[in-house]
Amino acid sequence: MNTRSMLITGASRGLGKEIAEHYLQEGWSVYGCARSEKQIEHEKYVHFQLDISSPEEVSDLFYKLRKFTKQLDALINNAGIASMNAFALTPSATYEKIFATNVHGTFLFCQKALGLLKRAPAPSIINMTTVAVPLQLEGESIYAASKSAVETLTQIIAKEYGGFGIRCNAIGPSPIETNLIAGVPKDKIEKLVSYQSIKKMAKPSDVINLVDFFIKPESGMITGQIVYLGGISK
Amino acid sequence: MTSTQVQNILFSAIEMSNNIREDDKQIPVGETTELYGKDGHLDSMGLVAFLIDVEELFLDEEIQIALSDERAMSQKNSPFRSVATLSEYIEKLLNEKN
Repeated sequence: MNTRSMLITGASRGLGKEIAEHYLQEGWSVYGCARSEKQIEHEKYVHFQLDISSPEEVSDLFYKLRKFTKQLDALINNAGIASMNAFALTPSATYEKIFATNVHGTFLFCQKALGLLKRAPAPSIINMTTVAVPLQLEGESIYAASKSAVETLTQIIAKEYGGFGIRCNAIGPSPIETNLIAGVPKDKIEKLVSYQSIKKMAKPSDVINLVDFFIKPESGMITGQIVYLGGISK
Repeated sequence: MTSTQVQNILFSAIEMSNNIREDDKQIPVGETTELYGKDGHLDSMGLVAFLIDVEELFLDEEIQIALSDERAMSQKNSPFRSVATLSEYIEKLLNEKN
């Protein structure tokens, strides 16, 4: 029986919930967190409600997590927020909110998880980026800039902690039907899909397939990689 | 937590580091051991691994300490130069918490 353990942020809805439920079905112990309440009922699921950009709340989560597990096989930094606006009209508060969740949240979870990851036989971190980075999408300057930071963090963490056996990669999903793009107009999504080599919307299972690839022990030589769905590349 | 208990945790972390080091690169387990800097036994990433183990060992005792410090990689002023300076630094952190 599989007893591997995963911590995933943004586990209460959308892609994060799908990923959490998939690995629960696969027999993993899944520790999820979100700003909102628990949305998954499963004997091997434990939920933490917190603000992922708060150093105190994240420290508290990792303190409590040790009552359930002494090691982590995978950390998935899935939580993220997006906001579309022209650069000139973007309020400072939006900038702060996006960087707090997307960059500071990823930084805190990667840093605090190192000890638990180091104790696992084939540990892996997966961060989430976006095709808005390579496509340099207009109207997404702050969101894309935050994810550029996540990509750089991913690659430097991969270099610094490769010697500890910890791998770190990032996935840049093309548009998927999740809450994150619920507010994006249909024509914008269609235009975005038209940039792709594979011109269709992705499914959560396309992301899960890539998560599977990155976290399996056989991918021990794969780290510091940024993979976008749909055939988009830098 | 007493000074001896803090030191014992540091000794356990040294032993964890020694488990993955070559026989001729073993770090002496003792309070005078130099960890990082001119005469230190650890390079920068060795120090990082060691400090992660120290934090984990404290968490095993249900004590949260954060050893991130702006001076961490300073050869001269780092609180991580030796078992003695690190022990003193941790005791200071623990006192500040109480």
